[in-house]
Amino acid sequence: MTDTNGNSSSSNNHHHHNQQDLSLYFLELSRHGSSQGPCDMDEDEEAPTELNTINSSGGFLVVSQDKLSIKYTSVDLHGHDVGVIQANKPAPRKRLVYYFEIYVKDAGTKGHVAIGFTSKGFKMRRQPGWEPNSYGYHGDDGLLYRGPGKSETFGPTFTSGDTVGGGINYATQEFFFTKNAQVVGTVSKDLKGPLFPTLAVHSQNEEVHVNFGQKPFAFDLKEFEAQERMKQQLKIEEITLPANVSYGIVRSYLLHYGYEDTLNSFDMASRSTVPPVYIPQENGVDGQEITYALSHRKTLRQLIRNGEIDTAFNKLREWYPQIVEDNTSATCFLLHCQKFIELVRVGALEEAVKYGRIELATFFRLPSFEALVQDCVALLAYEQPQESSVGYLLQDSQREVVADTVNAMILSTNPNLKDSKNCLHSYLERLLRQLTACCLEKRSLSGDQGEAFQLQSALSGGKNC
Amino acid sequence: MSLFWIVIRQLAESEAMATSKKVITREEWEKKLNDVKIRKEDMNKLVMNFLVTEGYVEAAEKFRMESGTEPDIDLATITDRMAVKKAVQSGNVEDAIEKVNDLNPEILDTNPQLFFHLQQQRLIELIRNGKVEEALEFAQEELAPRGEENQSFLEELERTVALLAFEDVSNCPVGELLDISQRLKTASEVNAAILTSQSHEKDPKLPSLLKMLLWAQNQLDEKAAYPRITDIPTATLEDPAV
Repeated sequence: MTDTNGNSSSSNNHHHHNQQDLSLYFLELSRHGSSQGPCDMDEDEEAPTELNTINSSGGFLVVSQDKLSIKYTSVDLHGHDVGVIQANKPAPRKRLVYYFEIYVKDAGTKGHVAIGFTSKGFKMRRQPGWEPNSYGYHGDDGLLYRGPGKSETFGPTFTSGDTVGGGINYATQEFFFTKNAQVVGTVSKDLKGPLFPTLAVHSQNEEVHVNFGQKPFAFDLKEFEAQERMKQQLKIEEITLPANVSYGIVRSYLLHYGYEDTLNSFDMASRSTVPPVYIPQENGVDGQEITYALSHRKTLRQLIRNGEIDTAFNKLREWYPQIVEDNTSATCFLLHCQKFIELVRVGALEEAVKYGRIELATFFRLPSFEALVQDCVALLAYEQPQESSVGYLLQDSQREVVADTVNAMILSTNPNLKDSKNCLHSYLERLLRQLTACCLEKRSLSGDQGEAFQLQSALSGGKNC
Repeated sequence: MSLFWIVIRQLAESEAMATSKKVITREEWEKKLNDVKIRKEDMNKLVMNFLVTEGYVEAAEKFRMESGTEPDIDLATITDRMAVKKAVQSGNVEDAIEKVNDLNPEILDTNPQLFFHLQQQRLIELIRNGKVEEALEFAQEELAPRGEENQSFLEELERTVALLAFEDVSNCPVGELLDISQRLKTASEVNAAILTSQSHEKDPKLPSLLKMLLWAQNQLDEKAAYPRITDIPTATLEDPAV
C-alpha cells in the first residue's frame, strides 16, 4: 500500500538502475560552477583587429606601423594597380551584425576610395567589387560594385573627412553601408563563406584610416541592432498561444520542484482573478505524478538550502530509505560532499577533515566522483575559500544542485511513474532546451550565421534567435 | 534515348528530395537537447518575472523564500498596482484614478489616452447603473473637452454616449462597451502604464519565449525534419515525420 507520500518499500533492480542514472546526471551538473553551453563559445569567435599586411598589394600602398591606416603614394596608371587591403581575420558570423568603419583622411587626386567585403583569394590589385566574390561601395561614383559588369547606383559619393561604414546583417542576409552615421543603402548578400572587411585607395595621396571597433563608431550600431531585434520580436509576438499556457507551465514548474508554499499562494490568487484562470484539464496520470510527495520534497529542499544535511539524511532514511541505502550512490555522495562543504563554510575544518576521511575517501578513485571530491578537498587549502577557484562550491547554486537531485530521486520513487526521465526536467526546462536546440540547428544549417538563443542573455534583456 | 532522360529526371528528383531537408533522428536530437545548458537560477528568474509582472504578490514572496530568487521589482509596488487593476475590473473607476494618482501623479498626466479611457469607463459605469442625468453631465463636462482636442477621443465619446439611445442595450451596436471585456481592457492599460512608469517591462518574458519556440520550430521546419513539440503544456516531443 502506498499513501500519497509514497512510503513504499519496493525497489527492484530496474528501479535502482534508473535511480543511479538520474543522480549521475546531477553529478555532472555539480562539477562545473557555471557550466559553458554551446552558445557561450559565440563570444570567443575571432574578429578583425588590424589590416593584413602579408597578402595586401604591397607594391601599391603603404601601411602604417599600427596596421590601421593605408596610403597610396605613387601615381595610378591603370586598373590593375589598386592599393587594396583586407582585415587580418574574416568577419565573425555568430552574431546579429558585423560592422566596421573607415575614415577618409585624404581623398587624394581622384578620390578612388572604396570599402567593402571580399573573399579569400581576392586579386589584390583590383577594387573590391570589380572581381567575382567581392562587394565594394566606391567613393568616387557612389556606386555599389558586386562583380565584373555588375554595378548599380547605391548611395552618395564620399570624400575627405567622411566616415564610411560597411556591415553584414546576418538576420536579413544583406550588406549595408553608412556614410557619416547614416545608412545609405543595403544589398542582398549573395556570397557564402568567410568574408574579409576590405578597403582600397587608388590615386596619389589617398589616405584612409580603419576602425575595427577599437574606437567608438560614428554610426549607432547598438541602436541598429536593437531595431533589427525588435523587427524579429514583432513577428514573434504575432504568434498566438493557447490561453493560460504560461500559467500552466509556471504551475507545473512549482509542482515539479516542490515549491509548495508558492504553489498554494499561486492557486489561491488565481481563483480570485477576474476572470478566473482556467487550466485545461491535465492528463490525470500526469497530474498525479507531479503532486506526488509534494510536502516531503518541499521539506527536504528547505533543509538542504539551509545547509542542514544531517537532518536531510535523517528524513530521507525515514521517508525514502531506498534512495540513501546505498552509501556509494551518487545521491549519497552529493549529500556527503555538501555536508563537507557546510563544515568548511562555518570554519569547522578539523571536523571537515574527519568527515571527509570517513565519507569521501572511498570516492577518490571512482572516475565520475573524483573531480568533485578533489574540488571539495581543495577548499581546505585556502584561507578565503570563497574567493578561490573552487569557491563555486560555497555558493547557493551548489546547494541547489543537491536539492534538485534529492527532488528528482524522490519523484523517481513514485510507483505510478511512466518514464523516469520525467523526473529530470520540468516542462519549462524541456521547452527551453527545445528552443535553444532549434535555434542552434537553424543557425548551423544557415552557414552558422547569426545569433542563437541564450536564456541568460534573453533574461537580461534581449538576444533572439 | 527517352528512357535515358526518364532515368536522369528521376535521379534529379530524388536528389532534390534528399537534399531539401536534413533528417534528424530522435536519438540525434535528444543528444543535442542534452548538450544545452540551462541554469536553474535562470529558470527561477523567469518564473519570478512572471509572478511579479502578473501581480501575484504573495506567491512572489513565497517564491523568494522557497527558492532564494530576488524579484526584479519591489514587491510593495505590486500590491498597489494590483489594487488599481482590481478597482477597474470591479467598475470602481473613481477609486482607481485616486489610487493611480497616489502611486504616481505623473502617470495620468503623461498618458492622455489612458486618462481618457478611464474617464470613458466611468461614463460607461454611470450608464450601466442607469444614472442618465449624471452620465450626460459627466460626458459634457469632463469628456467633451477631451474630444475637442482629439478626433479619435471624440469618436469614442460619441460611441459611448450612443448607449443612452437604446432601451435594450444588450442588443445595440455599441453594446460591447458594457461587456466586462471592456473593463479588462482598461485594467490592462492601467497595469501596463504603471509598470512602464516603474521602468519595468509590461509583459512577462515567459509567453514571448514560448512564442519564440513556435517560431523557431516553424523556421527550422523549412530546413529539417526533427522531433517537434506541438503540445506546449506537456512539452512532449513527437517523432519526426519521415
